[in-house]
Amino acid sequence: MYSIVSTAIIQGIQSIPVSVEADVSDGMPMFEMVGFLASEVKEARERVRTALRNSGFVLPPKHITINFTPANIRKSGSGFDLPIAAAILAALEKVPKASLEETFLIGEVGLNGKVQPVHGVLPMVAEAKERGIRRCIVPMENKSEAELVAEMKVFGVGSIEMLVHLLRGEKTEEEETIFPIEEKESAADEPDFADIQGQKMVKRACEVAVCGMHNLLMIGPPGSGKTMMAMRIPSILPPLDEKEQMELSKVYSVSGLFLERKGLMCERPFRSPHHTITAQGLAGGGVVPKPGEISLAHKGVLFLDELPEFQKNTLEILRQPMEEKKVRLVRLQGSYEYPAEFMLVAAMNPCRCGNYPDMHKCHCTQTSIERYLGKISKPLIDRIDVCVEAPRIEFKELRGDKKEETSATIRERVVQVQKIQQERYAGESFCFNSQIPAVKIREYCRLDDKQEAYMEQIYKRLTLTARSYHKILKVARTLADMDGEEKIQNRHLNEAICYRSLDKKFWERV
Amino acid sequence: MNYAYWLANIPGIGNRTIQQLLARAGSAGELYFFSEKQLRGLALLGDAEIAAILESKRKNTEQEYMKLCEQGISFLSLEDEAYPDKLRNIPDAPYGIYVKGKMPRKNQKTVAIVGARMCSEYGHAVAKKLGQQLAAHGVCVISGMARGIDSEGHWGAIEVGGMTCAVLGCGVDVCYPASGRKLYDKILEKGGILSEYPPGIQPHPGFFPARNRIISGLSDVVVVVEAKAKSGSLITADFALEQGKEIYAVPGRIYDALSAGCNTLIRQGAGIISDVDDFLKELDLCGEREPYQENFTKLLLEKEESLVYSGLSLRPTSMEELLQSTGLSMPELTELLARLQQRGFITETFKNYYIRRI
Repeated sequence: MYSIVSTAIIQGIQSIPVSVEADVSDGMPMFEMVGFLASEVKEARERVRTALRNSGFVLPPKHITINFTPANIRKSGSGFDLPIAAAILAALEKVPKASLEETFLIGEVGLNGKVQPVHGVLPMVAEAKERGIRRCIVPMENKSEAELVAEMKVFGVGSIEMLVHLLRGEKTEEEETIFPIEEKESAADEPDFADIQGQKMVKRACEVAVCGMHNLLMIGPPGSGKTMMAMRIPSILPPLDEKEQMELSKVYSVSGLFLERKGLMCERPFRSPHHTITAQGLAGGGVVPKPGEISLAHKGVLFLDELPEFQKNTLEILRQPMEEKKVRLVRLQGSYEYPAEFMLVAAMNPCRCGNYPDMHKCHCTQTSIERYLGKISKPLIDRIDVCVEAPRIEFKELRGDKKEETSATIRERVVQVQKIQQERYAGESFCFNSQIPAVKIREYCRLDDKQEAYMEQIYKRLTLTARSYHKILKVARTLADMDGEEKIQNRHLNEAICYRSLDKKFWERV
Repeated sequence: MNYAYWLANIPGIGNRTIQQLLARAGSAGELYFFSEKQLRGLALLGDAEIAAILESKRKNTEQEYMKLCEQGISFLSLEDEAYPDKLRNIPDAPYGIYVKGKMPRKNQKTVAIVGARMCSEYGHAVAKKLGQQLAAHGVCVISGMARGIDSEGHWGAIEVGGMTCAVLGCGVDVCYPASGRKLYDKILEKGGILSEYPPGIQPHPGFFPARNRIISGLSDVVVVVEAKAKSGSLITADFALEQGKEIYAVPGRIYDALSAGCNTLIRQGAGIISDVDDFLKELDLCGEREPYQENFTKLLLEKEESLVYSGLSLRPTSMEELLQSTGLSMPELTELLARLQQRGFITETFKNYYIRRI
């Protein structure tokens, strides 16, 4: 007797279809599983056998063979238990074979026959739909996640018993539980830029950075509100569209961070890893790769507080994903690709005690300042366009109850500015000012002769490099867009110069 | 054979011992030919020291000395005519000094500019101004080439094409701090670098206080620009006092940690530099008074520019503070700051921190 069931494994955030075949025939009684299996899949044999017995289906003393196709991909993950159980039941004719046709199955089972939730259901179901499958059976806890895929009939099962009832077409006692898709929590709880008094300059820099999707570095003494500011950046990023929501939700589904949530990820993520994070934690990794912080910050903000405290090699790893907007991990079993399109926001103190350049308060020596600032990786700094000082807030400012702008107002402006850019770069491979490649700078950031001469002076006075000069132009382009100007004006250049990155000369004076 | 060079380079025989030996023996040349018995007869030296002296005679001192000369380093001992008189007269004067470049001329006035390494913008500005003004009037500026005030003093003198000398706490061929390479080369163009330590000796914390006695010793006047309550510059001032040199200090605000040392010196009776030109007059260098700068600058500024300019001082002011105090928007303010910088009225000291220029 033979049966076949469709399921899938996860590689990166992609799902690869896998079929589970079961054959029960006469011969030496044994239970065999073949098809390039990882050890956790091999263990499924014991789990499934016991779970079936405890659910009232004793396996007959026959020759049972399970095969996984395609046989050239290593099968890993714990989601094969349910497909194996279903395939055996169908091969034993306990359930009608026809009921498994065009049906996608995934789930882990316990020894008592209960079905446990698994990671990555969303991408698997989405992929199954593309294959033309219209019916899927998933663990009860994953049901709401699978339902996010449109035009898919989703059944949640809590135990093998329920699976059998379902496949036999019998009505189960338990009614289908329906999770209503909850409305977003009231906006009042969300961080908002209106909460921050003063810090006009940093706020402005945040807006500029978001408008052109520039990376941002904030330098300031402890307690000047750098973290508060960073946490509010997602609130001024444009809302996610449906495709982006799905992509982001897949990343979270694969990481197993989706169980608690109802509905797609609709808010921009804000990830703030501690500075002790390892390179693997940041970029993703492990024997069985999992997405790292940079992928969890996909479409949102990756905030690195205390930048100089991060391990240098950890930060170096950011360079490639920042260019490519994705990270690829190569392992023995194959290569895994995770999206990583994030806005980098970093914060740091100007010196170890935080008071430099106020020499009356700072008690650091020149060498200690140099050592502290020298810790930040130069290539990373090179990828940060907007750099701003966040000075300590004065009490007067703190007490002020001036009405500050809300994030919603700022967001409206940001959406407008980003639209201008998208229209301008319609035929290009990039869509934001921060991504203009060096060869196209002259085309998009055109200066007239007078401005060229002015910038030449600045170039010499500030001893800029070609790269930092380009960064100034890109930021000036964003500032011009914010003003609705076709051409970059002098005031845009002047402001952009103020946002240039920390020059080495400031801590190497005299 | 340079006997003085031999005497200065015996391991284990310090400056004090040398002075005592010379008092008995007369000169290095005579001492060189003392036998072991004679040396013992002086009743000054221990066995180890006598062994060191005898051992050192076996070394090829002549060749070492030649090598030194090839490097362009000259050696001067107290017995030499060329040894600076100001230094000769201080207590515990170094028996030998190594000089690279030029020494101050015999009758040239010398002023030491010393102060904190980690100094404020105010200190930077004052030290440089003093260096410039003094050097422009033919004074040789003496300092220690450390970061901060010392370097600014040297640079001030160099910028006006004046003479400046650095006294190091290491060998004269060792550039310390290493970041001061450019300054080191510049000083050698017109001035000189000297040290009591033989070439090749690396800096050591213990050397610096001793180095300070030479800085004050070479100078007629010692100016302390900025110093915290416990500062190496105050050691220099103490030496200056002991050596009978004049001390001046630049006053600061009473709550500024970097002015605490200076203000204490003033309370103890040091001269006060309330005005650079007055100071030059006191040194008998008639200074030509410059017009009072602040008003002068203000006349040249437009209304909005002066609004921003008046918000600045010699203490670095952040852009955020300026935004608050002037009420201007970011684009307006950045434009004005750029213009003021362009015209040289203000300068950016740290990213987005500005001060007035003096």
